[in-house]
Amino acid sequence: MHALDALGNPVRRDILRTLRTSPLAVGELAARFPVSRPAISRHLRVLEDAGLVEHRAQGASSVYAVRVQGFASVRDFLDEFWETALSRLEELAKE
Amino acid sequence: MIEKSVLLACVPERAFTLFTERASDWWPAPLRHTGDERSEIRMLAGGRFWERATDGREVELGRVTAWEPPARLILDFYPGTDEQHPTEVIVSFADEGPGTRVSVEHRPKTESAELWADGAPRFARSWDLVLDALGEAAT
Repeated sequence: MHALDALGNPVRRDILRTLRTSPLAVGELAARFPVSRPAISRHLRVLEDAGLVEHRAQGASSVYAVRVQGFASVRDFLDEFWETALSRLEELAKE
Repeated sequence: MIEKSVLLACVPERAFTLFTERASDWWPAPLRHTGDERSEIRMLAGGRFWERATDGREVELGRVTAWEPPARLILDFYPGTDEQHPTEVIVSFADEGPGTRVSVEHRPKTESAELWADGAPRFARSWDLVLDALGEAAT
């Protein structure tokens, strides 16, 4: 999944904001959210597929952390921005 | 650096005006900082570059650092990063046949070089803005 799609969900954005402060185990993370633990795990899987978080095993649980490289998407974001903006500008000039 | 251009069916003077005075009409709606699709977005000769929502909330989107109508416009640009890490947008307007070629060059400044490249130590400070903007872009 593309990072943009992964970010198009408020729970996943909140998870990222929480992990930004410090890496957390799934259980600790689930305790801070009003959604079930399986739901948190699903969101983490989506984020991991998109390259936005990574995990390492610690004892019996997995500790998740933000993966900063996944956010090189600033550049892609701006690229898309201008793509859309200029095509709208083109339409506007025809009026 | 990001480079984009478009050929507009109008003279450079009009292209410059459309870009600066009527940004509200072309700025991608899902990417508006205020979240208000009908917000007003303006770039002014005096340096301000702002967005104002219909409920009056205002946010600075950057700064106009060069205002050279109808040929060129340079902006310090905050969307995608933040005020402490502006990127730079150079917009030029050139005669091309009966129309105008509008070219956008968007590149990092010293303050945003690390954000532009991979792995940004200072990226953390921009996260909220980036996440919000990206999240909105995806919906």
